[in-house]
Parts: sequence; structure tokens; C-alpha cells
Amino acid sequence: MVDFLQALVDGVMLGATYALLGLGFTLIFGVLRRLNLAFGPTILVGIYAGSHVGLAWPGALAAVMAVTVAAAILAGIYVERCSFRALSRQAPVVSMISTFAVWMQLQELVSLFAASRTMPYPSPAWLPAVAAGPILLRSDALLMWSGATAIMLALFVLLYRTRFGTAVRAVADSSEAATLMGVNVAAVGAAAFLVASAVGGLAGVLIAQSQQQVTPYFGLWATVKGLTAMLLGGAGSLSGAVVGGVILGVVETQTLWHFGGQWRDLAAYALLFLVVALSPRARGEPSL
Amino acid sequence: MLAIERLSKQFGGVKAVQHVDLDVRQNEILGLIGPNGSGKSTIVNLVTGVFPPTEGRVRFKDGDITGWPPHRVLAAGVGRTFQSIRLFGGLTVWQNLWVAQNAQSEGGRGVLRRWLAVDRASMTKIEATLEFCRLLDKKDELASNLAFGDQRRLELARTLAAEPDLLLLDEPAAGMNAAEIEDLRERLLALKRRGKTIVLIEHHMELVMTVAERVAVLNFGQKIAEGRPAAVQDDERVREAYLGQRR
Repeated sequence: MVDFLQALVDGVMLGATYALLGLGFTLIFGVLRRLNLAFGPTILVGIYAGSHVGLAWPGALAAVMAVTVAAAILAGIYVERCSFRALSRQAPVVSMISTFAVWMQLQELVSLFAASRTMPYPSPAWLPAVAAGPILLRSDALLMWSGATAIMLALFVLLYRTRFGTAVRAVADSSEAATLMGVNVAAVGAAAFLVASAVGGLAGVLIAQSQQQVTPYFGLWATVKGLTAMLLGGAGSLSGAVVGGVILGVVETQTLWHFGGQWRDLAAYALLFLVVALSPRARGEPSL
Repeated sequence: MLAIERLSKQFGGVKAVQHVDLDVRQNEILGLIGPNGSGKSTIVNLVTGVFPPTEGRVRFKDGDITGWPPHRVLAAGVGRTFQSIRLFGGLTVWQNLWVAQNAQSEGGRGVLRRWLAVDRASMTKIEATLEFCRLLDKKDELASNLAFGDQRRLELARTLAAEPDLLLLDEPAAGMNAAEIEDLRERLLALKRRGKTIVLIEHHMELVMTVAERVAVLNFGQKIAEGRPAAVQDDERVREAYLGQRR
């Protein structure tokens, strides 16, 4: 029972960052109606940049975080220019394929400038672990969960309580009507992309400080986790992406605990397959 | 106020609009009528920048707005409604107006404050517009849950939220019952009293003939008549266009 609870708590904390990745995907997919496979590699660029800063100035944690987010935003702008703004809204498949090309570019770029394949990422090591009864809350996991929750709340306030967010949801609802009602759809799309990249960069900080290292495969890993969280939650629903992320995290940690690490990803993909195969909503039209 | 000069639009080989001249005067209600496919909606789309004209100019308040993108046309003061309802179904009634309101406030200083906060002044305006369109009690309902007549009202309210000086209404009475049309007639006249200029595209002849000061008639993309409602109704070419060639 304690094992189950411990894995559940770990899963929820891990799932909170999956939820952030899923939200980033959903935001771009909902507003631009196109899939950004380079979302994970965008974050990868941020984390590598942060890692370099961490090596050059040990202990400058705030600078590491700021550079991580800033570099992710810059990489996001690059992806938006290459694969979205330059291509027609009417060609979603072309867009998606070009994001794959940009993915490879970004991945090669970080490999080129990194001293080794595995780069260290600093963590706030002074934080103590918290024991809640028999359950142990690791400090990095706690930071991951609280950080992700705060970012999610801020994102939901932005999308549901501000005029900007309402415009974003209007474009996701009907970009045609939004255009004709005077909304500058291209500008809203670019802004949504920017917000998604920033959320991705923040998620990158939280994940990297927990893993304390990064490899060029992080891009693939983050894209797969984010896509899975989005699809589990119904492809296009913001709250769905949060639920999907948390479910993914819990399934992974429970599998890890009870069956071992080799089953972890298999269980996640089996769940994804079942949800997509069985639920019409997972294949439905996006709406924010 | 709005001057359309030799406006033409060709879709492939189809001449949807051919050399149409049309003047809309300040604070008038101009009826734009004609059989289906005569080019009425195309003119609205040309003026509001949905697609560029093949030929001709569109002037608004002494400025040339030909080929401007929709958000700039709206910001300049030209609002429109749609023949088929295109609301933001997933947004509430008041949020639909909120989105339209931002057309007036694009760029410049204070853009962050405008985009990130619900200021009291814009909320008051939204509520006044909803009250005018008799939707205030449905303020927090999702647009997709409204009855058809209320959705048509919301179309108008949403356009009004952008505070345009000129309204292009594309068949606002389509699908309405007699009471709703009567209500619409009152709204139109009230808008005129508030200083708005209106171009009313409508098949409902009785509505057009009773609210419009002038009527222009299109047929096969060309303007075939223009004048006071009574005069246009008696025009031989108009009768032919609507009733088919006699003799």
C-alpha cells in the first residue's frame, strides 16, 4: 500500500511536467491546427544552453534557468518562422514534416557545441527531502510539481481570464471567423507559439534539474511525452492535456515500481494505443 | 462615407461583380438587394478585405482601403455580419464581444495592459451593447447553446462591439420569424439614430423597403438600379430581374 502511494505521489509529480509538455503541444495544435514535432528539440536547445551557463558559472542557478527559458523561446521563434509562418495553414502535413527537419537541425546544433554527449544540469541541492509519514517527497520532485502547478495556473489565467487568452481561444474555435472579426490571426498564432515555447522552456528547467543531466535524445523524449499527454487528454483540450500528463506520469511510475524499468515505456505506449483506439474523442476535432 | 468605384471581381471565368459604383452616405440605411448569386455578398467580402478586387477602388472616409486585410478594415470602422452564423461557439456570449473589441486597440502603447486585463470600461461597454441587443441576461452562456434567433442577435452584438461607424449586414433577417424581424427593424432604426451608417443586404423585401432610404439593385454582378424604395420597386429592369423576362 505504501509502495502504491509512493509511486502514485512520484507519478503525480512527474506527470505535472508531462502536463506542461502536453499543454505546449495543445496550445500550438489548437491555435495553428498543425503539429509541432520540434517542440521537444526546442526545449533541448534551452537545456543545453542552460547547461553551458551552469558549467561556466557554477552556482548561478537563476542565470541557468533564465538562459534555458530564453534559449527555448529563441529556438521556438526559429521553428515558427521556418515551419509555420513560412508555410500555408492549408498545408498541415508539409508543416509537420518541416518541423521534423528543424528537429534534426536543432539536435545537430546542440551536439556540435556540446563538449560531451551527456551534459550536467545544476540542481538546487540545498533543498532537503520532505517526509510525509511513510512517504518520501524528494526535493527535486517537489520542485517539479510545485513549479509545474504554478506555471499551469498562470497559463490558465492567461488563457481564460485575459483578452489575449480569449483571442487565442477564439482563433482555436474558428480562425476564419476570428480573421473576419478583426483579430490578427497571424499575430495571435505567433504569440501563442511564443507562450508555448516559454512554457516548454520552464518545463525543461524543471525536468533537467530533476534529472541533473541532458543528452541529445531529450528532444525525442520530450516530444513523445508531450504528444502522449495531449493525445491521452483528447487532442486539443487544455484541461485534457493536464489530466493526460498526470495519468501518463502515474502509469509510468507504477509500472516502474511494480514491474521494473524495462516495462515503463511499454506500459505508457500500450495505454496510449488503447485510448486512441477506443475513444472517439482522442481522434476528434480540437477545441480549446 | 463609403465609395465603391468600378469594383470588379472575377473568380476564374466567372464575373461575380462587374464595374459596380456605389456611394453610401453618412448615417443612411442603404438597402442592397438582388437575386441569389447577383454579387451582394461578394461586394461585402471585397470591401472587408476577405479577398482583393480584380479591379476598382474602395474608399472609406476619404481614405483608400482597397485590398486592406480584414483586421485593418474593421479597425478603420467597417463592421460586418455574416450570412451564415459564425460565432465563437466555445466562448461565452460576452467573450464573443470581448474578442471583437480588440480590433479597436491593436498596437501602440498600453497594449499589454489592454491584452492582459479586463478593464471596467470595456466591460461596461460590452454590457451596454448586450443590453441593446437584448442579450444581457444570457451574458455568461456559451454561444453554441443559444437559440437561433439569439445567435443572430449575438452576430450583430459582436460586430457592434468593435464600434464600427459603417455596418455591412449580410442577410441579418435570414431564418427569423415575424416577431424577430420586427425586433431587428427597431434595432436598425435605433442604430441609425445613434449615428451609424448601415448597408442592409436582405431578401426580406418588406424589411428593406420600410427601413432603407435608398435601395441599390444588383443582377448578374452589375448594378441595375438605385434610388428611393418606391421608385426602385417600379423599375422595369428590377421587375425583370426578380420575376424573369416577360414579353
